[in-house]
Amino acid sequence: MNRLSQAQEDILLEYLDGTLAAPAKIKLEEELRVNALLRLRLDELRAVHTIFQHASLAEPSRDFTARVMQKLDTAPSPTPSRWPIRNAIFLLIGVLTAIGAAALLIASGVFDGSTSISLNDSSLPQKIIQQEIPVFTFSGKLIINIIIMLNIVVGWILLDRAILRPYFQRRMQA
Amino acid sequence: MILDPDLPLIDRILAGEQNVFAELINRHKQYAYTIAVKILQNRPEAEEAAQDAFIKAYQNLAGFNRQARFSTWLYRIVFNTSISYKRKNNKVFQSIENTVIVYNHEGEVSLEKTDKTRYLNQAMMKLNEADRTALTLFYLDEFSLDEIADITGMQANTVKVRIHRARQRLADELKILLNHEALTL
Repeated sequence: MNRLSQAQEDILLEYLDGTLAAPAKIKLEEELRVNALLRLRLDELRAVHTIFQHASLAEPSRDFTARVMQKLDTAPSPTPSRWPIRNAIFLLIGVLTAIGAAALLIASGVFDGSTSISLNDSSLPQKIIQQEIPVFTFSGKLIINIIIMLNIVVGWILLDRAILRPYFQRRMQA
Repeated sequence: MILDPDLPLIDRILAGEQNVFAELINRHKQYAYTIAVKILQNRPEAEEAAQDAFIKAYQNLAGFNRQARFSTWLYRIVFNTSISYKRKNNKVFQSIENTVIVYNHEGEVSLEKTDKTRYLNQAMMKLNEADRTALTLFYLDEFSLDEIADITGMQANTVKVRIHRARQRLADELKILLNHEALTL
């Protein structure tokens, strides 16, 4: 065998990185004692590893910071955009108002009745309608309740994004 | 939630203290420049790209969402800016790269024969920009695989695999270069 498998190569790299689990490490070290090809490959990979470990950061020019700061004078100021948060707060107020209004209307019994749609009452010619069409009946209260539920979900998301998350982020940083 | 030491400085910059940005530059300029150098392989160009990246970061500071470390966000800008520079100057770089290859071939005698680092740098040229950056960040020991993935725009698992493959390839290249050198001694 002239070449190691990818799995063996990965194990050697993890061994060099010190991330190989203890049992696998013992097994590899036993294998290294008897397998010359494995030892040779470990040495090759170690050569790269050692060079990189001693690699240092590149040093920019001395006036790097001054030059960036000079260019900043002509760049627009990064004023924080408050609009998305403000808009979200307005939207949250709107959602809460809609929920409140809908709840009041439900409580006053506006949606207590049910609505039916019957196409049989329409003035379509008999030639077209041969059979009885089913009548659709739906409760206004149920629909409004579903809309309120959806509004509550949207309200929670807005509350989280616009108020709670920014507030706790600021507290964590304080 | 990440406790990032850069956040108080960012708040001050956003409050209007532009001079505080100099402190952020001083904290991160070496890493930013190193990433740019690894991608562009040209120091003056890397310096320009890194400076440009800092200006972009400043202009978009209000949009930094604080979900990740500021450094990760900044180095992603450096990475993308350097890649743009590379693409923009592709024709120019192509001719420079060709020149470098010819120079190395003809000027082998002048190279220090025992300098493995030099050979490794030569081998590094054969890797793509993302692999070079990932490998550099991995060995600078500052970033997790997830953060390297964020900077280079790859999946964390992909980063790990690519770092492994890049190291294998470098080991192979180094072996070839050193064998070739031994034969010419």
